[in-house]
Amino acid sequence: MQNNRKPKVLIVDDEKALRAGTKRLLASEGYEVDTAENGAEGIKLGTSCDYDIALIDLKMPDIDGIQVLQKIIKAFPNTVCIIATGYASYETAIEAAKIGAFSYIPKPFSPEEIFQKLKEAFYKRQILLEAEKLKKERGERLLEVAFEKTRLNTIINSITDGLLVVNKEGQAVLYNPSALKYLQLDNIKIEEYILDKLHPEITGLINKILSTQKFEHKSYSTQIDLNREHQIFVEATSSPVPLPNGSLAGVVVVIKDITGLKKLEILKSQFVSMVSHELKAPIAAVYGYLKLFSDESIVITKEQEKNYILRSQGRLDSLLKMVNDLLDISRMEMKKVNREIKALKILPIINSVIELFQNELKGKEIFLKLNSSENIPFIYADNDEITRVITNLISNAIKYNRPGGTININLDSTASYLSIEITDTGIGMKQQEKEKLFQEFFRAKNEMTRDINGTGLGLSIVKRIIDFYAGKIEVESEFGKGTSFKINLPLRSGMFKTEKEGQIVLNEI
Amino acid sequence: MSIIAIIDDDPDILDASSLVLTSKGYKVITATNPDDGYKIVKENTPDLIILDVMMNEPDDGFFLAQKFRREKIDTPIIMYTSVSKSFGMDYGVNEMVPVDEFVEKPISPEQLIEKVEKLLQAKVGR
Repeated sequence: MQNNRKPKVLIVDDEKALRAGTKRLLASEGYEVDTAENGAEGIKLGTSCDYDIALIDLKMPDIDGIQVLQKIIKAFPNTVCIIATGYASYETAIEAAKIGAFSYIPKPFSPEEIFQKLKEAFYKRQILLEAEKLKKERGERLLEVAFEKTRLNTIINSITDGLLVVNKEGQAVLYNPSALKYLQLDNIKIEEYILDKLHPEITGLINKILSTQKFEHKSYSTQIDLNREHQIFVEATSSPVPLPNGSLAGVVVVIKDITGLKKLEILKSQFVSMVSHELKAPIAAVYGYLKLFSDESIVITKEQEKNYILRSQGRLDSLLKMVNDLLDISRMEMKKVNREIKALKILPIINSVIELFQNELKGKEIFLKLNSSENIPFIYADNDEITRVITNLISNAIKYNRPGGTININLDSTASYLSIEITDTGIGMKQQEKEKLFQEFFRAKNEMTRDINGTGLGLSIVKRIIDFYAGKIEVESEFGKGTSFKINLPLRSGMFKTEKEGQIVLNEI
Repeated sequence: MSIIAIIDDDPDILDASSLVLTSKGYKVITATNPDDGYKIVKENTPDLIILDVMMNEPDDGFFLAQKFRREKIDTPIIMYTSVSKSFGMDYGVNEMVPVDEFVEKPISPEQLIEKVEKLLQAKVGR
């Protein structure tokens, strides 16, 4: 309490000498004093300012002190009023108390008497103020709690995961709109028994906790296929809710949509199955030949044997290549490719790849022609990746070409992109084969491709690389006539600044 | 002399299987895709069909087997399988797999011959 503060006092009295004398007396002690010479003025002052104490004469010519007191208390209930009266009696005291006066003082009064009264009154005043302050604070806290509750509700309702709380009796206590969606219910009534309306697996999760009837830090979860037709998978987790005393209050169930994850999982296992199948095929082929060699009841000629050994080697080579390609794809997927992006000249890369294929070209008597317009600009890329793209495409152009065929490579550029076109006079593709060309493990299978080995991953890797550089790959093909691959690579990009060949401009991991 | 048709898209499997069976005295005809397979079966009416379950598409072989059965071709069928136990095979569980035997790749010649002989004998028996 503020004990150092001096009270502010209003004196309402028609006796001028008393007014002035009291004022002087109180002011000498540091009190702040206002005076009113009649009832009307007393009301005017007392209702316009929250005085600590009002000292009111009971008998005044215009308005009596009781009315003045009533008006003041109505305006400021915490102003402590003292009635001053020349006719002090027991009755007066009772009457004064009845109408809301704190106390009364008989006139005339000594300085000690008035100071004693004012001291008591001021103490009362401070208690009143303190009480009011506490009341106000309590009100504010209640408001805060209410606000907190609304805020919490808003948050719970905004969560995309479903949330349902049930009590020990299995009645719904709290839920959010997402819960309705995942529980496939139109509405939930608070305090209604709900366990019989839920998906049996969710009811099971809740019962696992309710059946123990005590609080343990243990959660249970399960994945549920909510809708086979629309493929909605959710993961529901039930956790116990404790009471403050540590016993079990109920169960909270959180339901999360895991459809995306689940689909990814399915894709992943399909991919694994496909890989296993592709790896098993060459193993089965080689195994079959080896069995022939070891089985004495089977007669094979020397020539057949040589042929089967060669083909086994071919299958093993492509198996090895497939494993390496798979590792590459996995690195790309994991984004663990260490690229060294620098300014590259494409022509020397193409020439070095052609050099590597000299034996194959000669063996199949394929004529390769390279046309390049002048001043082909640098591209900004990783040397190994671009080499890989060129290698895979030229390798295909040789593999799927006919003996004595040709391969045309055209290199050109515009202001914004570089284009590489590789055209062969090979066996071409059917429309339905073209559509699946960039899928992992897809290989055109027809009467003309039966002796061509491959992993079915080469073009898928090409596509991944071209995609990384924001390029485009197009294919044109006619069955029996040949195929043409055209790659467009963007030349300039804001992030690359150098013009010098070989200078590293960006290291990307 | 029994005729056996082998339909598989892997030329190496075709060659090795053919050799195993021809050395046992069977006449072997082959095809590398379901369409050609259907054709050689219609034209040559073999005594036994060996069919790879996965050719161009997973379950190609299964659908071809179904087609034979629909057309009342009740020639015994041996199906070569690879990993189809774990994927593909999109047909419902209740749907009958219209084949008589399965042989899993890689193929053991002994097992293949044993199953071939068993089915051909059963055919003679009925």
